[in-house]
Amino acid sequence: MSTINIDQDVKAIIAEIIEMDPDKIDANAHLVEDLGMDSMMALEILATLEKKFKIKLPEEELPKITTVNRAIELTRKYVK
Amino acid sequence: MELDFEAIKGIIPQRFPFLMLDRAVEIEPGVRIVGLKNLTGNEWFYQGHFPKRAITPGAMICEAIAQTGIVFFHLSQPTLQDVTFLMGALKIRFLKPAWPGDQLRIEVTPVRLLSRAGILNASVSVGKEVIAKGEFALAAKDNREL
Repeated sequence: MSTINIDQDVKAIIAEIIEMDPDKIDANAHLVEDLGMDSMMALEILATLEKKFKIKLPEEELPKITTVNRAIELTRKYVK
Repeated sequence: MELDFEAIKGIIPQRFPFLMLDRAVEIEPGVRIVGLKNLTGNEWFYQGHFPKRAITPGAMICEAIAQTGIVFFHLSQPTLQDVTFLMGALKIRFLKPAWPGDQLRIEVTPVRLLSRAGILNASVSVGKEVIAKGEFALAAKDNREL
């Protein structure tokens, strides 16, 4: 899977779960403080990323998903 | 592994009129659980839902799903103490109604379990027919934080 696809897919997944237009999301905006993500949404994002990319993200990585860009970095790290 | 009604009360705090689980069977911690709820015509919610035709409210089926999930979570993460589970995302599709006399068979399997939260898959059947299915999320909150 290309990095462009990963970037777009991760952003689309997060946008759908936090119910925002992907084009209006600043990839460096804080998901909790700026975009209103709650813990349940974070869990849903984690599970959806794992399902979409067929990866397993360790639980300790969850707090690191603070921005779309951080989520992309993390996903790239685990996608083979 | 099975849990009877008294054992279930030792795990979850819900009581009449909100205890929606009679027994748990086919328990494999971390893998799956099946909760059983026998619906009788005497259930309190049939008084108003509906006076002329008793139909089990979808909200109470969701409650039965959640309680089965909480029992599953406690058995899968036995070190978790003094917490209350809150339900988050809930995506349940109701396929058929449930009537007085039906036994709900609530099968719950994990989509993703974390130490204090999880997304779970649920399938509720009566006899051989699936009457509701979907996904739900649970998160544990320390009781002193509530």
